[in-house]
Amino acid sequence: MDLGLASDDLDKCVQCGLCLSSCPTYRVTGDETMSPRGRIALMRHVQHRGAPLTAEVVDAFETCIQCRGCEPACPSSVPYGHLIEQTRSVLVASGASTPWWQRLAFRQLARPRLLRAGTTVLALAQRAHLVPQRLGLPARLPLRRDPHVVSGRDVYLFTGCVMDAWQRDVHHAAARVLEAAGCGVTPTGDAAPCCGALQAHAGLLDETRRLARRMIEQLEPDVPIVVDSAGCGAAMKDYGRLLDTDEGRAFAERVVDVHEFLAPILDRLPTVDPLDLRVAVQDPCHLRHVQRVHGATRTVLAPFVRELVELDDDGLCCGAGGAYSVLHPALAGTVRSRKLAAITRASADVVASANPGCTMHLAAGGCATLHPIELIDRALSEERAPGRPPRRSRRRSSRG
Amino acid sequence: MSGDPAVDDLVAALGEALAPDRVRHDGAERALLSRDASVFEGGVAGPVCFPVSTSEVQAIMRIAAAGGHNVVPRGAGTGLAGGAIPLGAPIVVSTTRMNRILDVDVDDRIAWVEPGVVNLDLSRHLGPLGFHFAPDPSSQQVCTIGGNVANNSGGPHCLAEGVTNAHVRAIEVVLPDGEVAMLGGLDAEPLGYDLRGVFVGGEGTLGIATRIAVTITPNPPAVRTLLLSFAEVVDAANTVSAVIAAGCVPAAMEVMDQRITVAVERYVGAGYPTDAAAVLLAEVDGLAHGVDHDAETIATIGRANGATDVRLAANDDERALLWKGRKTAFGAIAQIAPDYYLHDTVVPRSKLADVLEQVYAIADRHELLVMNVFHAGDGNLHPLLIFDAREPGVLERVHLAGAEIITASLDAGGVLSGEHGIGVEKQQYMDRLFTDDDLDHQDRLRRAFDPTCRANPGKVLPVGHSCADIQSLRAVPTGVWG
Amino acid sequence: MAATLASADPVLADFAEQVGAEGPVAVEGGRTRWLVGGAPPPDVRTVRAPAGIVEYAPEEMTVRVRAGTTVAELDAELSSRGQRTPLPDRGGTVGGALAVGENHPGLLGRGRVRSSLLQVRYVSADGVLVNGGGPTVKNVTGFDLPRLMVGSLGTLGLLAEVILRTEPNPAVSQWVVSDDADPFAVRHVLLRPGAVLWDGGRTWALLEGQADDVASERAAIAVHGTFTDGDGWPELPPHRWSLTPSGLRDIGAHATGRFVAVVGAGLVFAAEPQPSRILDPAARTVGERLKRNFDPDGRLNPGRDPAAR
Repeated sequence: MDLGLASDDLDKCVQCGLCLSSCPTYRVTGDETMSPRGRIALMRHVQHRGAPLTAEVVDAFETCIQCRGCEPACPSSVPYGHLIEQTRSVLVASGASTPWWQRLAFRQLARPRLLRAGTTVLALAQRAHLVPQRLGLPARLPLRRDPHVVSGRDVYLFTGCVMDAWQRDVHHAAARVLEAAGCGVTPTGDAAPCCGALQAHAGLLDETRRLARRMIEQLEPDVPIVVDSAGCGAAMKDYGRLLDTDEGRAFAERVVDVHEFLAPILDRLPTVDPLDLRVAVQDPCHLRHVQRVHGATRTVLAPFVRELVELDDDGLCCGAGGAYSVLHPALAGTVRSRKLAAITRASADVVASANPGCTMHLAAGGCATLHPIELIDRALSEERAPGRPPRRSRRRSSRG
Repeated sequence: MSGDPAVDDLVAALGEALAPDRVRHDGAERALLSRDASVFEGGVAGPVCFPVSTSEVQAIMRIAAAGGHNVVPRGAGTGLAGGAIPLGAPIVVSTTRMNRILDVDVDDRIAWVEPGVVNLDLSRHLGPLGFHFAPDPSSQQVCTIGGNVANNSGGPHCLAEGVTNAHVRAIEVVLPDGEVAMLGGLDAEPLGYDLRGVFVGGEGTLGIATRIAVTITPNPPAVRTLLLSFAEVVDAANTVSAVIAAGCVPAAMEVMDQRITVAVERYVGAGYPTDAAAVLLAEVDGLAHGVDHDAETIATIGRANGATDVRLAANDDERALLWKGRKTAFGAIAQIAPDYYLHDTVVPRSKLADVLEQVYAIADRHELLVMNVFHAGDGNLHPLLIFDAREPGVLERVHLAGAEIITASLDAGGVLSGEHGIGVEKQQYMDRLFTDDDLDHQDRLRRAFDPTCRANPGKVLPVGHSCADIQSLRAVPTGVWG
Repeated sequence: MAATLASADPVLADFAEQVGAEGPVAVEGGRTRWLVGGAPPPDVRTVRAPAGIVEYAPEEMTVRVRAGTTVAELDAELSSRGQRTPLPDRGGTVGGALAVGENHPGLLGRGRVRSSLLQVRYVSADGVLVNGGGPTVKNVTGFDLPRLMVGSLGTLGLLAEVILRTEPNPAVSQWVVSDDADPFAVRHVLLRPGAVLWDGGRTWALLEGQADDVASERAAIAVHGTFTDGDGWPELPPHRWSLTPSGLRDIGAHATGRFVAVVGAGLVFAAEPQPSRILDPAARTVGERLKRNFDPDGRLNPGRDPAAR
């Protein structure tokens, strides 16, 4: 079967296996079919040798979290993320993957009002103890959300779909921090309801393209688009390749992760007492392996907390993977266990992770997790809080 | 269901002994496990097992013994000599799920590990205690300790510390007949024949290791890393032998030629000079004064041998960057052409310069691009022939050039392999180094562990020797999938 | 195909001929460890391996030597070029030291005997010369016959010639002794000591390396005891015990008599013999098969058994 993969990309893999340890599903199963090398070999078997798409082959492709941790590990620079995304899209088209009910669910992501209404129903159900914990939802979904406020148009703050419905507080925190740095913020809100990342992971590439085009039309040109969700940012930075248009490429150039945006203008934020917390940084995969701007998270967060600590697992995925933790709860849970062990070893007060899926997944595993921007906002707001004793002014020694 | 009742029965029996979800016999799994990181094809895997304990490995071995089935162990599948390629649809035993570090004893300076523990994971685990596991093959972030034991793996830092064999004290092994044996021991001089020493490097033909006691090595308090540049590759090679001749044994001495240095710089920007014909990366470790003394010795000898530049890494970051450059060398090559063939021979250190010149000439003759990056301190050459397999006829030239490189190494008094092993790659060259009597005795050794030749058959010894009849193994059809 | 070893080297050929293919035969070196693992019958025919250093390449840090060469002669040659091997000199031969396989009491610094053997040439039970291993310091070409020969007491083949790995002597070797030190703490402080010995009261440490490092290590262990200059190896009691390094901590539980323990290795020199040890039964079975495969008629060094030390 033709998976539509470029032979040059597929043939780049020399099966050295150096990717294996960077793959969360291989790490917990030890199974070659659950590894990047194995999945690439299966793609070759299917595309070059006409091997049938058996249940095991489909499973191998579907169980990939698409964290893309294998890409930095690959000496041959195999574009694995694109290979698996394309493979998944063919599986969907052939009906071998992503059944109708999943497609229907993904389609709702771009319907913000419906999403919010659904969230309220879920939140009520939670309070009535009708939602099983294993679903991995946030412990307490919000019943209501404060409206977004436009404070200017220096930057867009991309608010997205599920995150806006479930974690709007993070957007508010990001907006406050950006404003503290002197930026007028326009939340994108319902003008750009969804980036299409989750759809792309599921192989629904056409749906992603539709959403991408819509977003490009809706947002004014030349304004930077700040993103506080690592997965969304990675997807939007890829619009150029996805659409293969000049508009797409120009748009992608404007997309910037919130930490990446703040790092060079950090001195515009007020100097405050750091929160008395030891914070473990858990890099979202799409920040570390795809956008590769995870250094900025540390630069931006460091002045606002007592201590930053690295995990000792080389940035291995936590198992969230967008909708992955819902579609493959058992495997996602095993991957998370490994991450939680690393977090325990780091003995931190709180984990900072800059992606909604990761924070929810880790929180569902019983781990105190916040978005880095929430910590910064908290440090800034404690400073603003009335009734604080006056404090000697203090300079930060260095910043990136 | 395979369609073959005997195979179905075997799979069922294995599934009952382990757990049904830890025995797989589907086409996808078998296709993937028919290969390792080498270029060799022709492997056919039978049922694939993922045991989690010694008793499960024992159960597999007993089932295999009762049914006369062959068994091939496999770690991460990063071997380059085809040692883990299953021939003739044997039961494949993946040790990846046996990945626990069982015990670390600083007093005895050992760690008990299961075979699937990843090499680098062990050193990471030991770090807070001030120790590490000395063998550091370039694949250390993925390869397993069990694989290191099977191949007697080396690595850049094995020059002073020795290869895996020097770091293994005891091994619990499931023998091909299903018996569990403890080879060696933690005591100073274990009783009996040194079966532990023999098992290391056995390439999976002597049984399956299920628990391994490895020596842990204290992290040295002082490290100095030098980078020497040379206008000629032979100057670098001569420096290496002169350093050893001066009675200095650095922790590591690695040479990279200009082609590879340029590629590495383009790939990671480690700070290597791109105008030098060769660079020597030398590292000394130990106590403060000794490392300064040795670093000075190396610098002096380097200059006397024509080094155009001698640089001492200023700090840990610079040092780490230089090593990153060295360790990603193969990746850098992959950027240049899609395929490469990595050779592995060892020559006496004094012959390094001479054999290197021959390697370049051989590659020229066959119109191939060759790059050299190697463990110079051990005389361990790693010529890389770089090519694009889509070019018609290129594979023949690659194999011809490889054969000539092996010949040149043997003629210089060298051996076939320094760390990759024989596997299926170099069987046909074994009789260049050994007589029939020599090989016969190797076969006797092997049969003491595996009298019926069922553990990883068809490896190491050449065709014509007992336990090496690979013709019949290769006759097995590959099946519909793949 | 290379010419056979025998035709290439008449000295080795002559030794192979002496060994022959029939009848019990024992090999005799310095007879310093004659009773280890059992003695051959008194009337057994004995042969002596050829002697002499064939090729010493200090710059390769390897030496090719006939098995019948005395360790003393080898040591003299190596020390003239500032090098050494892990073989202990007890008045015996290189072949004997390898066949017995016992380590030098300075094994912490010198390494183990088993790691020093690169290539072995021995006469098989068929009277044929067999070659195992290779001349280079790194080698994974085929099954490891050299490892098998170390400590095999000549029961699988009679050593004729070997290539050993050598290593440079340390710049400075300095003995220090203390009567109030914790030897285990001392061992832990020293990075690469030549030896740390302990007799239950006194601790001997052999510091090796550059002079300044030896001085600083000496200062570092002073925290764990009062050290004075030592003057060399203490007298070692005759019997060898093999314990684990941590097992030395409760050595008092064993009836060793006077002892000197090699801390960090678990080796003990004791006045009394070690109670007989038990070999893992499955390992014993493999050993028995080895013996059958290599010497089906049991003609090589009859009466000896590495599992019966």
